[in-house]
Amino acid sequence: MAELIAQASPRRMARITGVLYLLTIVTGIFAQGFVSERLVVPNDAAATAINILTQKSLFQLGFIVYMIEMACNIAVTALFYELLRPVSRSVSLLAAFLGLAACTIKTLSRVFYIAPLFVLGSSHYLTVFNMEQLQALAFLFLRVNDQGAGMAFPFFGFAAILKGYLILRSNFLPRFLGAWSALAGLGWLTFLSPTLGNRLFPYTAAFGLLGAAAMILWLLIVGVNEQRWKEQSSGQTSF
Amino acid sequence: MSTAVMPARIAEGSPRVKAKISGVVYFLVFVTGVFGFSVGGRYVVSNDATATAANILAHESLFRLGLASSLIATALYIAVTALFYDLFKPANRSVSLLAAFFSLVGCATGGVSFLLLLAPLVLLKGAQYLSVFNVEQLQALALACLKLAGEANNIGLVFFGVYCLLIGYLIFKSNFLPRILGAAMTFAGLGWLTGSFASFLSPPLIKVLFPYIMWPGMLGEASLTVWLLVKGVNVQRWKEQVSAARESFT
Repeated sequence: MAELIAQASPRRMARITGVLYLLTIVTGIFAQGFVSERLVVPNDAAATAINILTQKSLFQLGFIVYMIEMACNIAVTALFYELLRPVSRSVSLLAAFLGLAACTIKTLSRVFYIAPLFVLGSSHYLTVFNMEQLQALAFLFLRVNDQGAGMAFPFFGFAAILKGYLILRSNFLPRFLGAWSALAGLGWLTFLSPTLGNRLFPYTAAFGLLGAAAMILWLLIVGVNEQRWKEQSSGQTSF
Repeated sequence: MSTAVMPARIAEGSPRVKAKISGVVYFLVFVTGVFGFSVGGRYVVSNDATATAANILAHESLFRLGLASSLIATALYIAVTALFYDLFKPANRSVSLLAAFFSLVGCATGGVSFLLLLAPLVLLKGAQYLSVFNVEQLQALALACLKLAGEANNIGLVFFGVYCLLIGYLIFKSNFLPRILGAAMTFAGLGWLTGSFASFLSPPLIKVLFPYIMWPGMLGEASLTVWLLVKGVNVQRWKEQVSAARESFT
């Protein structure tokens, strides 16, 4: 991978971005949709605890996939900075920093995804609590994990709006991708109010996912217009 | 070197000075980090919440000092990250930035682990509002927080692992540092990644691996530190690579 970046061909970079973006989406959907949401029973701490303990490996796998998701997401953030740098270095850097803050918040909240295993394990020192109390604690941690990940959304949103703006102003990517990114970013801003964000989540997520899919396909199949990318970047200071 | 001269030298961008400063700061990361880690770990008695609580309360100032030391280690590592970004930019700017991003997320993850290390002190100090829990329960919660702090640390290691791999790659691509250091850093990155993923998948396994799994990481990072302190970088080749990078871009 790094070998390819070294050549700094924008088309190659676009392809790598597409692959890692796809991985981010796939791992995110797997960990969230197929692990987290399957094991966590809303408002039922006992059932959730039983699910986690009986399917502990799946739960742990979910955690590892979350970590891979975050690693891919950080790489995508850095790569988009490079790709959109020719349009405006400062705006692109700002978008990357916001994206990085979002990745950090999301990574931190994952500490509370794995925390239930620490209170549900049958360690002797925990016997001072009864089972229901430990299950409630475990459930509380999972809620913190969810809320924490939700706090990352506005940061992703601001980053997506800036990325949208950069794509609209670029000569090497189609404008509809930029408009879509900016609108999806506005959608993620609904998480500034977690209640509103959660209520609209299915629509925001669907719209965001479609936009991401379009972006990924474009990056993988078409890439960027290499000549125009270079033309636009010659106006910028290079180093 | 007087402090008045130092910033001027950095501004001048002499790679040798930058390398030396990185070496010094990296060395300080080791000192503060190892101190913080050993103090934090010393008071935890596995599966004995009462003994752990007694230890922490009996040595509260040292426990807090260890925590402060870990915080300083993280701040210094952020400085190393910024210095390395500059130092390795000539090898490949994009990869150097990618590496810095990974390191920053790793450093921030430390923040949560510090919070969880601080939590036991809040739980154990006997505030009135906590009296709805009995002492044993508060001690158990305190121990659970300490264990969770260890796990947060492991999460950070995932990102530091990738960071070391990328720095290893950048050393390979650079002409101004010996390739053996690149191999050492690659090895270090693999060590951190193995350690963290082993702890996620199988806590019993990590108990067997534990002291040894630290070695590749510690040795790799220590060898880079010593090299930067003693030898620095090959300045001429660094400058050549800067101009080569400039040409290839335009």
